Amino acid sequence: MKKKALKVLKTTGLVAGGFFGVTFTVYYFNLDMKMTAAMQPLLNYVYDRVERDQHL
Amino acid sequence: MMDAKEIAAKIAENLDPNKDKERLGTLYTDGKVRKRREWRGLEDTMYDYVRWLGIMGMLGKFIVKPRNIKGFFRYRWMQNYLAVPMMIDRHTQGLRGSYLRIAHTEFDLVAQDVALLLENLFKGDRNVGNDEEFSKKVVLVDENEMTTFMMGFPNLKCLSRETPSVYVSVLLNQHAAEPYIDIAQEYGLPGDVCPMPEAEMGVSIADDFPVLGACAVQCNTTCDGSLLGNGVISKRLELEDGVPCFQLAAPLRHREDDVQEYAAQEIRNTIAFIEKHTGHKWDWDNYFECAKRVNESTRHRLDWLEMNKTDYPQVFGSNLALYTETNYMAICGKLPAFVEADRKITKYAEQAYKNRAMAVKEYRHRAIVWGVQSHFYFDFLIWLQNCWGIIPLTDMLSMVSTRVLSEDDKEQAIYDMAWLQENMIMRNRTHGGYKVLLDELWDFCEEFNADTVILWEHMACKALVGMHGQFEEKAREKGIHLIWVKHDLFDPRIVSRQGIRDQINNYMRTVFMEEPLDPTLEVLPDDQSW
Repeated sequence: MKKKALKVLKTTGLVAGGFFGVTFTVYYFNLDMKMTAAMQPLLNYVYDRVERDQHL
Repeated sequence: MMDAKEIAAKIAENLDPNKDKERLGTLYTDGKVRKRREWRGLEDTMYDYVRWLGIMGMLGKFIVKPRNIKGFFRYRWMQNYLAVPMMIDRHTQGLRGSYLRIAHTEFDLVAQDVALLLENLFKGDRNVGNDEEFSKKVVLVDENEMTTFMMGFPNLKCLSRETPSVYVSVLLNQHAAEPYIDIAQEYGLPGDVCPMPEAEMGVSIADDFPVLGACAVQCNTTCDGSLLGNGVISKRLELEDGVPCFQLAAPLRHREDDVQEYAAQEIRNTIAFIEKHTGHKWDWDNYFECAKRVNESTRHRLDWLEMNKTDYPQVFGSNLALYTETNYMAICGKLPAFVEADRKITKYAEQAYKNRAMAVKEYRHRAIVWGVQSHFYFDFLIWLQNCWGIIPLTDMLSMVSTRVLSEDDKEQAIYDMAWLQENMIMRNRTHGGYKVLLDELWDFCEEFNADTVILWEHMACKALVGMHGQFEEKAREKGIHLIWVKHDLFDPRIVSRQGIRDQINNYMRTVFMEEPLDPTLEVLPDDQSW
């Protein structure tokens, strides 16, 4: 029983630690914004092809 | 490879010796985004990280909905929402402790509110969700409009199309309005019109507004440029989309008693128009609930302003400006979450005041920020304090009505709504005569013990430009340092962010003969930045 609980604790700790490690790296090095900044020019390609009724 | 000693020396070089603060200018790149996020010390960095996780969760929840994905790829302005976390970073730059917590309480809530607005727009939008039943409950409102006349319609949705497409977009990305300004000019609008209504008109011409709603209420609250833009927008709405529009015309001389009956009648007419087109009836109980919340928000704002008159201001600069605009004009007591946020902010501020907390190591100048601020550089206020130790105690758009609304008298309530409509942010100063724009500024300087006025000069705004000489004359007479900051509101191609900073830098160096608190912020390569 004790062994099982310890295993659960260890797994939870590893998952939480991994989550923190990855997300904090993304946060601190601004990787989220660097990725979205790279996406922006591609989006303009999509927007330029949307059919619109442009007029005054 | 650097050894440990060299690394320590490098870190020390980038830290402010007095307050464990990084040299913020070193985080800038010449691209869209920063090198990395700021290190604020362990506790504040962890707090900021947790709030960032919350924002990412909120954005993730928004984008997993198929309707929102469709909206994201339909509207060009939606790409600006990629920059939401960065906008919050820009407005929390250099903040620690209570200032950081106040900023997150406000900005995270505003971000959530905008996400909800987008969801609702896409739900009813004929191009995206096309939920016709929902659309029948939508009243479209002008972004420059007090939404008081919606306080008695709890089952209707009051949605602004211009807010997410233009107003918020420019806060997120300084270049957001440029494609729409260009489109409006391609269709013959002159380049010297205020870029705000110009961009809104451009969105309409480009067929980039969501189409929905049982009816729409437009207003005359800002200026003639706004009326011009509204004309083009309402033509498309009424004649092509079949959405009837009401023009709510509030009197310009709003301090005069003899215009109040006319203003009140406009409110009665607006309510009757909405009732006619939606089939919903005005609910006085709901109105008075909202009025109580407006009154509580006003009391909190007054408390913050009182604190800002002392040596230890607490809710000022960016933390005062954008939140006041949202809460006063767009929310109008309709959402309890904003009053809860007010209470939280007051709690943080009172605690910080008790501890005599300061946002930067040195408060060199106490400033009142006047005029219409540049939207593409809203975080300029935080730059003022971080770079030069100039504390923006309050700004023109935060000095709005503090009148207590009636909480039980129906006749008085109509006049209260009319009063608020007349006293929309900015308009309560740019219209109504020189007393509200010019004379009261010097009263505020005295009350707040300010030695400096940062005077935004929006070059396409005729309401303010005409009084340039009178401001100068009075400032000289009163011995107040008046620093003009020219800009073109939504268009950084005319005056860039660095162009704005240079006007302050020149005055600080040549007149005050001072050195910046953080020299790395004086010149920044942010022309291409979001």
